Amino acid sequence: MALHLKQLNIFKDGSLMLSLDATVNKGEVLSVMGPSGSGKSTLLQAIAGHLATPFSMTGKILIDNQSIDDKPPHLRGIGIMFQDALLFEHMTVEQNIIFAMPKTKRYSVSKKRESVSNMLEAVGLEGMQNRAVTTLSGGQQARISLLRSLAAEPRAVLLDEPFSKLDTALRDQIRTWTLEQLRCRGIPALLVTHDSDDAVAAGGQTFELLPC
Amino acid sequence: MIGYSNYFYRVTILARWLLLILLTVPVLAGVVGVVLPAFGYFPAIGANAVSMDVFARLFALDDAAEMIALSLTTGAASTLIACLCAFSLLAVFYRTRVLSWLQGLFSPFLVLPHAAASISLLFLLSPSGFFARLFTFDSDAIPSSSQSYFLFDELGLGIVLALIVKEVPFILLMALSVMSQPLIKEKINGYFNVGVSLGYSSISVFFKLILPVLYPQIRLPLLAVLVFAVSNVEIPLILGPNNPSTLAVAVLHWFNHIDLSMRLMASAAAVVQVGVAAVAIGLVILIENILAWLGERSWLSGKRTFGDDGLKLLSLFVVAGYAVLVAGTLFNLVLFSVAQHWPFPQVLPSGLTVLHWQSVLEAALEPIINTLILGGMVSLTALVLVLLALENEVLGSFNRAPDKAHSYQSNAGALLNIALFLPLLVPGVAFLYGLVWFQQIALKNAVWFHVYIAHIVYVMPYVFLSLAIAYRKLDSRYAMVAQSLGKSPIRVFLSIKLPLLAGPIMVAFALGLAISFSQYLPTLLATGGAISTVTTEAVAAASGSSMRLSAAYVIIQAVLPLVGFLLAWWLPGVLFTPRKVQINNKTTSPQPFRGS
Repeated sequence: MALHLKQLNIFKDGSLMLSLDATVNKGEVLSVMGPSGSGKSTLLQAIAGHLATPFSMTGKILIDNQSIDDKPPHLRGIGIMFQDALLFEHMTVEQNIIFAMPKTKRYSVSKKRESVSNMLEAVGLEGMQNRAVTTLSGGQQARISLLRSLAAEPRAVLLDEPFSKLDTALRDQIRTWTLEQLRCRGIPALLVTHDSDDAVAAGGQTFELLPC
Repeated sequence: MIGYSNYFYRVTILARWLLLILLTVPVLAGVVGVVLPAFGYFPAIGANAVSMDVFARLFALDDAAEMIALSLTTGAASTLIACLCAFSLLAVFYRTRVLSWLQGLFSPFLVLPHAAASISLLFLLSPSGFFARLFTFDSDAIPSSSQSYFLFDELGLGIVLALIVKEVPFILLMALSVMSQPLIKEKINGYFNVGVSLGYSSISVFFKLILPVLYPQIRLPLLAVLVFAVSNVEIPLILGPNNPSTLAVAVLHWFNHIDLSMRLMASAAAVVQVGVAAVAIGLVILIENILAWLGERSWLSGKRTFGDDGLKLLSLFVVAGYAVLVAGTLFNLVLFSVAQHWPFPQVLPSGLTVLHWQSVLEAALEPIINTLILGGMVSLTALVLVLLALENEVLGSFNRAPDKAHSYQSNAGALLNIALFLPLLVPGVAFLYGLVWFQQIALKNAVWFHVYIAHIVYVMPYVFLSLAIAYRKLDSRYAMVAQSLGKSPIRVFLSIKLPLLAGPIMVAFALGLAISFSQYLPTLLATGGAISTVTTEAVAAASGSSMRLSAAYVIIQAVLPLVGFLLAWWLPGVLFTPRKVQINNKTTSPQPFRGS
């Protein structure tokens, strides 16, 4: 799996805002850095298919040499994570994760449950299936949020300053863990951040956006 | 437009158009149906000639000018005074705990329909009412008509009082809901802090800095309040003078006159009523401009206070007034509905009985069922259409061709904004008769359908306005995350957005029910009296002068919407909270981690 951004140009009200040409290979992380207002989040929205007025784009977005430009957001297979965990509060931990799992005949509900149990155990959150998400700590929410993204079996993941709201001690821990999860699953990721520590930890290419 | 076509998106477009049609077509058709007879065209009674004769006859009436003046003065005065009261309450109590307590105090008159509120005032202020009882010490006294405590007076003070009592809580609620929107709240808090740090009193900060931000946001609903005030029927019918009455009441009587030719007169008067509403709006715009000019001068004066003491006094007076009214109303309604013999001027009845309630519940059963069925159907329709139309706004904003999509969106948005306020800015007496005329031509016996349409016109704007704020405020990233998990737009709408918005949705539904329950004129006209609801029965009981029956009906009118709002407040928590929360809340120490 690889994510290609071919001569991607993003416009605001018709004038060029940013352009980017990059390939992110399997298990790699491309860090995009820049001050606020430089269009970092807009770039992610373009890739995820959420670009709305007044923004527009030209260029191609490919996953495994397959263009995804014309696909609606929900069929692109691209996971997004924000600085807030955004867990669905009307669902339990387990319901959040199972909601994300693809609908295939392979899984029965009991199998999905078992898989959730394994995922939680692997990240030290065993037995939390039926917890209401609002009762979790910040670090726990961040981990569930990533598990939820991974459960959808995404072909690429976009990270929008996902660690910026965590306190310093927790940030390092969650960052290391998140990057490790993505690497060992071989998922290409694009990390948007204004914290250079994030880019260093990600260890991949870094792309700097200029303020405009 | 959208880069992929899908079935759900098309359904939302359809819903948006249906919503627009339901808001505009009945009103416009109704206006046409009134304008034609007003100019003498009414084939049913053989009138075919188009002329100004009817208007000439109307203005030749002795009291035509008085009726118009009464409508205009009561409506404009009540709205202006209500604004002053509501703004001074906000200025004095903004950022204090009193404000939430005040909302509690005002809630009875907020949920009480206009008809019920008027009847409540009747209990307190009529010649044999509670206040007369309190201040009559001669036990042999008989209620005197001279002691009427300004009801039925020529100036319409009773109407003004009832309108103010209903309007202040409404204006306050609107202002507070605008002030709670995140962007505006942030701005207002900033202005407040800066203003106070510059040495301005909190009251002067409100009028000089906050009101200019707030006012444009509540201007349209305020004008809708004004139009209602100059043109409503139920309050002047119950509390107003009869000879002459307000123009709207005269329209009602002329339309219901046995002599069909009076319909021409009624139509002409209805057209004049639109003019009266327009003049009232013009007057308010003039006052707005004068106040804006004075306001700008007050910025330059550097004065750090803004009539602080006077406004504090006014606020206390308003709060005390409401306390007396609410306590007096509750006391009277409850006692009257269970009173045995209660002769004037005794302050307490001679004994209690549940006999009235037995007979009332028997008689009211059918109206209650009618009210619930009608309100339920209307609110459900409005809710579904509004939710789909709001989702259409979201779906329609993702696009590949920004220029086209942008103009489509803004045109559609502007059209919708006009349509939402159309039924509220065109006086009901003006278009409802015309609507009924068309409905009788098209589908003569479909009474339920007619009343359903007449109610939807009024319910839809409120459901939309109450839901739009919460819907547009919902963090769009939830939907993005769900879509990134592979969920289709319809799935995101059903599984994520609706549950997350369960609270506001239920409140909008309850509001829809309350608005439908309170409709008097639309119900009366569209059904021609064939379907009775709690509100039509309550007005009938009030004019039939059975105090006990009226009291019971007012209580039912208050309880029905109240139950709706209570359910709206209680159900979402039960339905959309994960099952095991309670257990876990006790065993773990929650560390909430939530985004902005």
